[in-house]
Amino acid sequence: MTPNETPQACPAQEQPAGCPVPPASADPAACAPKTSRRDFLKAGGTLSLSSLMGAGALMAQSDDAHAAAEWAEHFQKNYRLMTDKEKDEARLRLEKRYSAEYGKKVTVDTTGPQPGVLMGYALNIRKCIGCRRCVHACVEENNQSRGKRPGEKIEWIQVLRMERGEFSKERMNQGYPEGLGIQVGGNAYTPAGQVLEGQYHYNPETVPEKDANYMPIACMQCEKPPCVKVCPVRTTYREGDGVVVIDYNWCIGCRMCMGACPYWARRFNVANPVLPKEEMNPVTHYLGNRPRMRGVVEKCHWCLQRSRHGRYPACVEVCPVGARKFGNLLDPNSEVSLVLARKNVFRLKAELNTFPKFFYFYD
Amino acid sequence: MKKLAIYTLAAALCGSALYAVSAVDKAAEQAKEAAAAPAEAAAKEPLVCFESRKGASEITQKEVKPGLPNVKCSPTTGAALWYGDPYEGTVPMGKMPQMANLPEGQAVVRPRTEKLNLVAMCATACHNGVVPPGFPKHKKPVPIPTMEGMLPEVKDFQHGRGAIWCLDCHHATKRDKLVDHYGDPSISFDQPQLLCGKCHGDKLRDWRDGIHGKRIGEFASTGKKRWFTCTECHNPHNVQDGERNRGFAQLQPEPAPQLPKGMKDARHEKLHPIPH
Ligand code: SF4
Ligand code: SF4
Repeated sequence: MTPNETPQACPAQEQPAGCPVPPASADPAACAPKTSRRDFLKAGGTLSLSSLMGAGALMAQSDDAHAAAEWAEHFQKNYRLMTDKEKDEARLRLEKRYSAEYGKKVTVDTTGPQPGVLMGYALNIRKCIGCRRCVHACVEENNQSRGKRPGEKIEWIQVLRMERGEFSKERMNQGYPEGLGIQVGGNAYTPAGQVLEGQYHYNPETVPEKDANYMPIACMQCEKPPCVKVCPVRTTYREGDGVVVIDYNWCIGCRMCMGACPYWARRFNVANPVLPKEEMNPVTHYLGNRPRMRGVVEKCHWCLQRSRHGRYPACVEVCPVGARKFGNLLDPNSEVSLVLARKNVFRLKAELNTFPKFFYFYD
Repeated sequence: MKKLAIYTLAAALCGSALYAVSAVDKAAEQAKEAAAAPAEAAAKEPLVCFESRKGASEITQKEVKPGLPNVKCSPTTGAALWYGDPYEGTVPMGKMPQMANLPEGQAVVRPRTEKLNLVAMCATACHNGVVPPGFPKHKKPVPIPTMEGMLPEVKDFQHGRGAIWCLDCHHATKRDKLVDHYGDPSISFDQPQLLCGKCHGDKLRDWRDGIHGKRIGEFASTGKKRWFTCTECHNPHNVQDGERNRGFAQLQPEPAPQLPKGMKDARHEKLHPIPH
């Protein structure tokens, strides 16, 4: 189906009162909201000049914008199939809605992949001290829900603390079974981290701890992403610059992708997201950090709203030890390319053939 | 020992002026810390957060545009958590050997000399080129109580594991400068990489290429970046600080993620998950 053949989204029987002419475009926003708002303003102007009514008008108007946006969004196409014009309309609609909702000027960017850029990420696990600054920078940047009740707090980056195995002389002769019979195992049963067993909720006075390694994990932006393969509505897909994105509007919340992702990267908005007005980051991208709604899945997207304009992702900028490196894999002089050329690099769970563009390295 | 005592006395005398200065500095710093702690007080007092490690570069929160701060600080630890303006207060890094391919003005640093302005005074107040009587002739490290009083961390001086001491890095008479071992032109505190790289050449090479250390700004290899210099992340006096000996001082972590619904604590994580 080409974009032009999509069904007209404002069919006669569903047409809201006050949409006199069937719209030429598939976008009901062109008819429904404008007319009704104009009608309302007219009515407000003739009926009353009192301040009480004025306040009422303001409230009703923002409600109206909200309703209109929802109405329009209901008929919105999958972002991938939208024409530039439709993207623009969606952008304006969302900007208006978010600006009203958060009480400040919110921008929704629709910048596409930049030519000649394939984004890549590298993380030095020898350097990471497990301070979780990246986790919280991500929340500041990407408008995640940050409520107190269960399911209202969403973080995309997880920092896994892994015990260092200790192979001490004293314990050299111990092992399973302890004290009796033939010894079938030595103290190499001590976890040493290779199996990703570990702790996410560690909270010591200071990090790094003596006997721990830390491994931050978030979306790996796989080149062969299993999450994309399973999505029944094709709302999550790989963009041209390598980032796997989600069109939140088309997400039906089936959570297939969460089951498919081998890296525990995806989060589900079980509750209505809690995002205080003053903490909301008003610089957003349609496929990136714009506020989400309940019932959709979200995940790391390498700060599209920043990286599409050349800026480092937020986590890279706050890491106090400089463990995080980001760059263009197609540029041989970029930080990531140099890491790949010179350091010892591995991909997490490489045996799954997901081909992450997120690399772990060590000096 | 007697000689040393005399020297100490002399140093203490001229050091008293500095004591006053450092006391003022300390008070100011405490005030800053107090401001960083409670989030409510932030409305009045300017919010100052530390960037990489505690005690090095700091940044004061202000608005770049209405509603857009230059930096957001962590209410828990006081660390910088988010950069609205990555280039605030920066100056060009200056010419660096083997970094000539970087376009002019694309590499910037935040000068540290201002914060370390105590150092400029040292040269005029005490270390003015006059060698006090009783100054040891050898180059072996000796404890200097005056300096230890002002800078407690040198008591635990680890750098070089006893093989080097103050004057291997600090200029003997120009106290606001670092030593350049090739002749007199000395090194500014804003470019410590020129000195550190003399021993840690492998690290300098990686830093130059952007794969060691920290940069913020634009990610393209030709983009404008603020470069963090060696001493912004490492404390040169006790680089080996921290149990793990990773070259980075231990610090307080940000809060842990939310516990799974219905769980009181995260004890389950500590149990060995593999039965054997
Ligand atoms: S890490 Fe998970 S969410 Fe990210 S692209 Fe791969 S499969 Fe998809
Ligand atoms: S900010 Fe850096 S050091 Fe801290 S947990 Fe994240 S990656 Fe590790």
